[in-house]
Amino acid sequence: MTYLGLVRANLGRNKLRALLTGGAIALAVALVCLLMTMPAGLDTLLDNVASNTRISVHNKAGIVYSMPMSFTRRVRQVDGVVAAMAQTWYGGAFEEDGKVTFPNFAVEGDQVAAVYPDYPIDPQQLADFQRYRDGAIVGRQVMRKYGWKIGQRVTLRSTVWPVDLDFRIVGEVANERAPFFWFNRQYLDQALQAKGGAGLGIAGMIWVRAADPAKVNAIMRTIDEMSRNSDAETASETEKSFFSNFFGSLQGLVTIILIVTGLVVVCIVVIAANTASMTVRERSGEIAILKAIGFGRRTIFAMLLAEVVALATVAGGAGVGISLAITELMQAFAGWSDSLGPLGNFVITPPVIAKGLALSLFVGVVAGIVPAWGAARRSVVEALHEVF
Amino acid sequence: MVDEASSIPLVAIREVSRHYTRGADDVLALQSLSLDIARGRFVAFMGPSGSGKSTLLNLISGIDRPDHGELMVAGELLNDLSEDELAEWRARHIGLIFQFFNLIPVLAARDNVALPLLLTDLDKRERRRRAETALRVVGLANRPNHYPRTLSGGEQQRVAIARAIVTDPDLIIADEPTGDLDARSAEDILNLLRKLKTEFGKTIVMVTHDPRALRFVDQAFHLDKGVLLEGEAADRASAAIQLAAGGGSVRDAGA
Repeated sequence: MTYLGLVRANLGRNKLRALLTGGAIALAVALVCLLMTMPAGLDTLLDNVASNTRISVHNKAGIVYSMPMSFTRRVRQVDGVVAAMAQTWYGGAFEEDGKVTFPNFAVEGDQVAAVYPDYPIDPQQLADFQRYRDGAIVGRQVMRKYGWKIGQRVTLRSTVWPVDLDFRIVGEVANERAPFFWFNRQYLDQALQAKGGAGLGIAGMIWVRAADPAKVNAIMRTIDEMSRNSDAETASETEKSFFSNFFGSLQGLVTIILIVTGLVVVCIVVIAANTASMTVRERSGEIAILKAIGFGRRTIFAMLLAEVVALATVAGGAGVGISLAITELMQAFAGWSDSLGPLGNFVITPPVIAKGLALSLFVGVVAGIVPAWGAARRSVVEALHEVF
Repeated sequence: MVDEASSIPLVAIREVSRHYTRGADDVLALQSLSLDIARGRFVAFMGPSGSGKSTLLNLISGIDRPDHGELMVAGELLNDLSEDELAEWRARHIGLIFQFFNLIPVLAARDNVALPLLLTDLDKRERRRRAETALRVVGLANRPNHYPRTLSGGEQQRVAIARAIVTDPDLIIADEPTGDLDARSAEDILNLLRKLKTEFGKTIVMVTHDPRALRFVDQAFHLDKGVLLEGEAADRASAAIQLAAGGGSVRDAGA
């Protein structure tokens, strides 16, 4: 007979209750662990798509407003800028769909390689992109979605400009999550002029690559300073910040989920505390006897608390295991499908495991402390009188 | 062996009073009671319900404290000990036996017996050995792994007695040990308690309503309304109990 054996025997006295309470704790801990992966997962997601040297420059009034194309040339002169590429929204709908189903932009073909050196684009395809006026480089996701092949011709009908353009696909961005379609801005410019217009004298967005991450902030300040008091004042931000704003609503959702999870944890603590109280009440006779034969208040308190903490910790460990299994499954799913790809970013790290176990311990201590203290502090004669 | 001639009593009660408050009522459970119990004696406290027997037992076992008077047991003045000190003292000096056995249902007989040894410095092996020895003394050497639900009432009470003696206490306190047993089992338990006194020199203080107990104890004290009966009153009470028991011998009734 040992104290550990006594705690174990007491835990096994009502197996169904222990299983249900432990199950509730395990599920709550698993849920919390999974949610704790979300901020880091989103960060990883952003890191995957964003470079720490790329800057987005757009109209301060919003990304639907444009900037003069000439401003791109001025940006290129800024100290520390390696390259700058103007990008303008075409709003083209694939003829078979009739609506815009993927982002498509008119870009400066000769700047792509310098601004996006991290994008996996075949150099020969990049060369073809600059060579063919109607050439287009398409993200793998769009290519797969429509079953397009390199060399294929596709027509996009613009929902913004009064021209429909016919493109020759010359390259692919071999990135599973690249959802875009780039083509040469001269092609749109010339098509607009051919229609009797003034051509494409604007840039919707300017993507800038800095030589050094340390210079990014200074470059952004300089660019925004350059546009001050002009008709198109700019707002520069890092690529990560730019995408992060797109995920802003998702992060708000995460906050809400974390709050709800916090409430779930509180509920679990209350449920576990109630179970612990019931257990102590049911065993008040035994506890009185233990006290009578010489078990002191501290020993009784420690034994009862140890029972709840042991249950919560074992259940919490199971919860962490469940969350690990779920993220393993998510990573397996991520490999099966492009759209499930981001699931692979949500990883249970050692700090998350540690936090999950700490949470279990916390639940056990908070749930057990009041009933254990209540049972321990009662005088033995009072307890015996009540029971016998 | 038994040291009945010792001049220092194991239990020395001097002018002890205890009252309780039950709702609006103030109940005087014991009134200025004085009594000595020598080491190695087997004594019984008898009396009607509410006579103060259990209160006296609680005081002697250090479960409760008197309002007035002095209570010296096993060389310790219990009046001033704190709850924690009393618990520690009980673990060292007292073995308790209850009417309803009060074993831990999720522990086997041997583990139930070994429970008080958790409070000692003995290692696991020694605790197990002593628990098995105690089970052997009470005649349950062959049932160490049986759980309480698989034992009869008499056997459960034997396990409870083994639990009470496993720490080799100075004093064994038994509160109605035969109260929940059939006649045969009750007789066995009283025999066992007697054996603990005669063979192992144990001092036993028992509260009982059972008239059969008079045949086994060295001395029976009679309580009524918190007062220890003496002289003719004690004799009358003793005679009444003997009559109820159908005769038999009281070794030293009424002191």
